Amino acid sequence: MDPLLTFIVILVGMYGLSTSKNIIKSVFSVTIMESGVILLFLNLGNLEGGSIPIITQASEIIADPLPQALMITTIVIGSTVTALALMLCIKVFHHYGTVEWREILRRGGGK
Amino acid sequence: MLFVPVYIIFIPIFTALVIYLFKNRYINYLALLAQAAITVLLVLYHYTYKGNYGDTLFWFGDWQTIGISLVNDEISESFLFLSVFSWWMVLIYTFEKGKTDHNFLFFLMFLQGVFLGLLQSNDLFNMFVFMELTTIIVTILIAYKKAGDSFRAGIYYLLLNTSGVLMFLIGIILLYNTFGTINVEQIGSLIHLYGEETVIRFSYVLMMGGIAVKSALFPVFTWLPRAHGVAASAISALLSGLVVKGGLYLFIRINGMYAGAAIDYTEFFYWVGAITAVVGVMFALSQKDIKQVLAYHTISQIGIVMMGLSSLHDTAMFYGGFLHIFNHALFKSLLFLGAGIIIKAYKTKKVGEIRGVMRAMPVVSVFMIIGMLSITGAPFFFWFISKSIIKYGIMDSGIKYWILFVVNIGTATSFIKLSQIFFGQKRMTIRLKRLPQRITLMTLAFACVALGNFYIQIGEGFFGLPLQEVTVADWAALFDYALALSIGLAFYKLVIEPDYKPVRYIRNFQMSFETANYLFVVFLVVMTVYFVVL
Amino acid sequence: MIRNGFLILLLLTLFSVFYFSLQDLAEFGKNSAQYFLDHGLEETGSNNLVTSILLDYRLFDSLFEAGILLIAVSGIIWISKHEIEEKNAEFMIDKFKTPDLFVTFSRLVYPLMLAFGFYIIINGHVSPGGGFQGGAIVATAILILYYIDAEKETNIKMIVTIEKYLYLTILVIASLSFFTRGTFFTNIFDPNTFDTGTQSIYLIVLNVLVGFKVALGLWTIFTAFLKEGR
Repeated sequence: MDPLLTFIVILVGMYGLSTSKNIIKSVFSVTIMESGVILLFLNLGNLEGGSIPIITQASEIIADPLPQALMITTIVIGSTVTALALMLCIKVFHHYGTVEWREILRRGGGK
Repeated sequence: MLFVPVYIIFIPIFTALVIYLFKNRYINYLALLAQAAITVLLVLYHYTYKGNYGDTLFWFGDWQTIGISLVNDEISESFLFLSVFSWWMVLIYTFEKGKTDHNFLFFLMFLQGVFLGLLQSNDLFNMFVFMELTTIIVTILIAYKKAGDSFRAGIYYLLLNTSGVLMFLIGIILLYNTFGTINVEQIGSLIHLYGEETVIRFSYVLMMGGIAVKSALFPVFTWLPRAHGVAASAISALLSGLVVKGGLYLFIRINGMYAGAAIDYTEFFYWVGAITAVVGVMFALSQKDIKQVLAYHTISQIGIVMMGLSSLHDTAMFYGGFLHIFNHALFKSLLFLGAGIIIKAYKTKKVGEIRGVMRAMPVVSVFMIIGMLSITGAPFFFWFISKSIIKYGIMDSGIKYWILFVVNIGTATSFIKLSQIFFGQKRMTIRLKRLPQRITLMTLAFACVALGNFYIQIGEGFFGLPLQEVTVADWAALFDYALALSIGLAFYKLVIEPDYKPVRYIRNFQMSFETANYLFVVFLVVMTVYFVVL
Repeated sequence: MIRNGFLILLLLTLFSVFYFSLQDLAEFGKNSAQYFLDHGLEETGSNNLVTSILLDYRLFDSLFEAGILLIAVSGIIWISKHEIEEKNAEFMIDKFKTPDLFVTFSRLVYPLMLAFGFYIIINGHVSPGGGFQGGAIVATAILILYYIDAEKETNIKMIVTIEKYLYLTILVIASLSFFTRGTFFTNIFDPNTFDTGTQSIYLIVLNVLVGFKVALGLWTIFTAFLKEGR
């Protein structure tokens, strides 16, 4: 029941997104969710007794290579999103002096 | 001709890279050249494949069924034309002789390539990549001004949309493990096998969740006014007019894919659209910032489009919503660009402080008035036509009809409020005379008027729709419009202008990020209960 | 409290629906690995099937994957430029001093990491790895340099320019197959006429280019953050 566990990781990320009042924590929650999705992909693409998706003489059953390839793309996307979000976070901190969602929304007219 | 989809994706991207690398003001003109090339290619493509869109399917590599494919049909092709047109407008509007920012052009042109790819993609994961790439570029464009509120809006937009798109990704893996493919067409042809199963229903819910965030439907719309309110006017016009419609386009595509599963989504998304429309208008009425007003109206108009789109394919109502996408793209771009000029001249965004635009800038005012007439649904403008089609679809349901009427009154009220800027004494500070901006406004205004008056020819030429039955010179409809306007005027004088406490409360209402996400989870669960459990 | 409890209830609903979805998958789920096992090597010339998907079957995706990094790099550089006056900047002064032991070990590890990264990039088509993974390792190796010499200045502008040129080169090489095989974004050597050895030349070239691009991109992002800290 591995996929269930990975789905719990996704739900933990969603819980964090819906409760944390701090921008950095929100960024982390998105990262956690992303890790959950990646694990879910790899888990569901795996086969019982399958080896790594590299063709050698011996390989009969292999894990599905497509989800793995897709996940490399997702990892790159995820890391860029995290980097961009953290950079914006630094900038928000420079401008408002805080990284609390409620505080930054309240300040400066809050439009 | 088969490779035109690839060309129109990569010509803008290539141009963007060259512009970024050379940083030369003459190289910047390459953007216009590339745009012209895309336009020519698209027109040729249209005439080659007109009528038999089955031939447009195109696979990368020689392996059928395994690689990525691009495909076009009437809907995606009309979106392509709309996007290229919108980018023309924004390019001309922002183009200053020898002064254009090459960094800005880089992001703008890259976004065009990506968006054109999103419209043509026939592969679910490919769609995900394009969605995420769009999100990132739009975030950068929102934060481009580097002011505090633009950073705030940028991070809000980025995180909320990323969490939505991740839901879309989970939907993809469920479908992949069921069918062994992520090609939209193949899944569409197989989906009737398992249409009733939980896994298909759940994947539908997750995908719709992601699309709802992208297209700013009711509980998850809060990123839109922030993002579109703080961005530069040209960017706001592009985002409101077009990029948000990417979500609606995916709604059409994904629902087309799930057609075999016979999921009955009409009622649900009708009400989501209706609530979105009403809430959007409600917030728009209370705002005092001209760009915020326009941004909230985008939400309400998306709601109306959703009301139309929620009805099944090939019904009149569907095309009502579909045509309204184009209509909205035109007049919202017009309003945002016009507002940009006014804001620049008056150095303020507050509706209350801008007065006397009519005397100061008569030309701009005329165009703005055309835009306002369009958005309030005046006869001889296109919104009148598409509204009539939607009305026709919901004629037999009383309450649905009234919701549309209420939204209309709200829109009328809010634009009566906005139209106050035209009257009064002239108080302008700077004189701005820039021909390209005037040209843009003129083209858009002309398109609004043309679409409203030659709708029969346009409807037949592009979509093969018989629009003759919609009459403009209908006294009852004229009376309807006059009634909406007068109720709106009364409502404005009695409720909005005195600025009562509830109005102030709505204006100052702030939805924090975690609440927005909470509502997203609630929305997901409501959809799950509606589509899976029931 | 009530709010969080309700949230957990909502998440549990999603969880249970997902549980039933998995039951469905166990019943009629499909695994399409067989196609790649049968045709992967002949069609793309890569033993590593993940690489064969990344650089051949779905090269179109990978181009945009590299494009995302490119966009993020330019965006982060643009955002991190200081133009407007900012408050609270004094909070961000770097007070961190690297321990000597760490510096010494970094010096030892640095060439090894670099070599390992290159190994992963070049052998991407026969063993686990590839351009993206190896690029990340090379970038990490380069970043260790900052621990060795904290005052090191990097010419970001030059790196970004090189990165853009690399991306252009990748685009051009990826579309070369149009001239040899009549279709975009696949191996330039036709599998029917060339053997897998020849085909793998293309994969190596593309892997190296992608690897360098990723390494430079991550390096730039890190440097932008470092400058923000100073």
